[in-house]
Amino acid sequence: MSALPASFREIVVIDFEFEVGHGERPVPICLVAKELCSGRTYRVFQSEFGAGPPYATGPDVLFVAYYASAELGCYKVLGWPTPERILDLFTEFRNLTNGLPPPAGASLLGALTYFGIDGIGANEKKEMQTALGKGTWAGVYTPEEILDYCESDVLALERLLSVMLPNIDLPRALLRGRYMGATAAIEHAGVPVDTDTLDLLRDKWVSIQDQLIAGIDSQYHVYEGRTFKQERFAKFLETHDIPWPRLESGALDLGDDTFRQMAKARPQNSALRELRSALSELRLNDLAVGSDGRNRTILSAFRSRSGRNQPSNTKFIFGPSVWLRGLIKPPPGYAVAYIDWSQQEFGIAGALSGDSKMMDAYSSGDPYLTFAKQAQAVPADATKKSHPNERELFKQCVLATQYGMQAESLAARIGQPPIVARDLLRMHRETYRTFWAWSDAALDHAMLHGSLHTVFGWRVHVGEMSNPRSLRNFPMQANGAEMLRVACCLGIERGVEICAPVHDAVLICAPVERLDADIETMRAAMAEASRIVLGGFELGSDVSITRWPDRYADARGAVMWARVMGLIGNE
Amino acid sequence: MTELPENNRAGKEAPSSAPDPFDLSNLRLSQSYTETAGVKKLLTTVPVRKPNPQDWVRVHPDPLMRENFPLIELKDEREEYVVAGTLVSELVGEFVSKTLYTTVNRQGVVSLWPVRLPDPDGREMEWHRSAREAAETAMTGWVRCKANRSLGAYEIFQANSCIAEPVWPELDFQQIIRIAFRDRLITSLDHPVIKRLRGLA
Repeated sequence: MSALPASFREIVVIDFEFEVGHGERPVPICLVAKELCSGRTYRVFQSEFGAGPPYATGPDVLFVAYYASAELGCYKVLGWPTPERILDLFTEFRNLTNGLPPPAGASLLGALTYFGIDGIGANEKKEMQTALGKGTWAGVYTPEEILDYCESDVLALERLLSVMLPNIDLPRALLRGRYMGATAAIEHAGVPVDTDTLDLLRDKWVSIQDQLIAGIDSQYHVYEGRTFKQERFAKFLETHDIPWPRLESGALDLGDDTFRQMAKARPQNSALRELRSALSELRLNDLAVGSDGRNRTILSAFRSRSGRNQPSNTKFIFGPSVWLRGLIKPPPGYAVAYIDWSQQEFGIAGALSGDSKMMDAYSSGDPYLTFAKQAQAVPADATKKSHPNERELFKQCVLATQYGMQAESLAARIGQPPIVARDLLRMHRETYRTFWAWSDAALDHAMLHGSLHTVFGWRVHVGEMSNPRSLRNFPMQANGAEMLRVACCLGIERGVEICAPVHDAVLICAPVERLDADIETMRAAMAEASRIVLGGFELGSDVSITRWPDRYADARGAVMWARVMGLIGNE
Repeated sequence: MTELPENNRAGKEAPSSAPDPFDLSNLRLSQSYTETAGVKKLLTTVPVRKPNPQDWVRVHPDPLMRENFPLIELKDEREEYVVAGTLVSELVGEFVSKTLYTTVNRQGVVSLWPVRLPDPDGREMEWHRSAREAAETAMTGWVRCKANRSLGAYEIFQANSCIAEPVWPELDFQQIIRIAFRDRLITSLDHPVIKRLRGLA
């Protein structure tokens, strides 16, 4: 390899083999590492793991891996310090191909295929990989065979590094690597779960479904047995004068996204959405809870187009069924705090576009009402109390622009004629002209130059199927993801136990005596992250605390949770 | 960001040439797409018409953004043609003198609003006087005007709420006129419009 970065004393390419049970931390089986400057290879099997890695560490040592959080999860279990300079070829491969899906996926084999590098005995690897992951390798494969297999991945990774390195923006790649270190710490921690209630729920879930439907459906009358009947739902909407989005075919749009949006606009529909989601998607046995009572699954960092995490909906407690979050419960003596940025997307849009009116609206603390005032739709002394309806309309308008919603959809959401929605959207365009000019320019930039990028170089490439609305929204979503990553790095490095990143929020866990200090540390980290990403503009955050013996509660799932708990006798 | 992880705080400093993922201020990339996209909206069509009855409009208040022109209007096509100065004396009676006001509506569409000037003897129909009054009013606020046949004049509506100021094109009046009349300038008596008016086509 001729083009190794000269600024590093050592460059170590590594791979672990490990077992991992459902919801458990990894159990390292072996490690193979190759130091590229000297050509020296380290092969370490289970019983030989020491107090630290066998190779050099420090800021002048480059740690190279493919999907580094997995290797760093093993570091955590072994008690080894997180490397300071991490280059993850997975994140860089994702960044290289984001928006243009590679033909063989984004696994190591997929990346090798993409670059025309021989993947070496892929099928044979798969069998061994399965055996290793499940812990059924003992007696089937010898340590030497496993080490050889592991070393073949290291050698493949070395070749991949060689072809990828010339096109890697190393300083920013290392920032992404730094986040993979934080991800490993978050996965190591996991989310504390009330396992007694989970066991009860798993035991009774099938048997309570009919009662659950009967209980919740008594408000809606849209189920026939366990079947959701579209014509009954149409009648329910008509009776209650609720406008509902339709598909091009004219049929009601029954997608979960639509239900979620409509439940936000009309919270009384939340229970129905939760019920539908629970009946169709909930697989309680898939929820990954380890023997330590922590929900733990691979966060799938950088998997989504915006660069956000994309953990499994069924394995992760923060999946789509919000009522299930009632299972989150701090252990005795502990508390959890959910900390989220206030109106993050609105703040990002204002700050990155340089729209001073939008920034003023954000800084006012009530961007929706301030927007209404800026548009001269309410008097300057209007308050949330004096003009609740107007505020709600302008709030829905702001949210609609964030989703790229058109007038018809907004009209359905606010239950007003399209002309009202059009006027609202027009007022947004007129009030925030600088933002819209910037948003138009972002789309132009994407179409002209073939990509958009965040402040730290996460890129989306414009493919044949690129959606203009999604491209317009990319700067807000992807820079929001950058902000969360920076905040997680800062929080973890400052000693906060982050259990889960959730879109624009984090869940942290702390002993009650340390809770206030940790919340302050985390909020400061989030404020700092916002200033870093937004060129000095600071976003505020809100905190919701749950102390043992209470459980976490999400208002959107409250009805469903109470109903389910009643049915399983766990009120 | 200044704080470093524990093992970096122990006194080991990164070599100055090594990329430092903790030095975020040096890693930040610009998001100024307005500057980098390099895209400019071109004004290529400028309608010449009175505002429709639903349109809220503003008129450019700068005197340099309006001018009087000899115009021939083809009623059926609703098209206005400008008569070149050299032909004015030969086409007396065919054209009418109108002021062209630079106008923009709430959708940002730039147009020229033709309003007939009083006759040389000073007589002026109520339609034209009220249209001129509407245009003058629209220089300071958003205005909508609607023909009222019973009244014999335009009704003028002024927006009470303080709507955002319009965004005007960066072009000067001469450039706007060129765009508006690029295919509708009468420079000779052989022009098809003149032939039609004289029954020659």
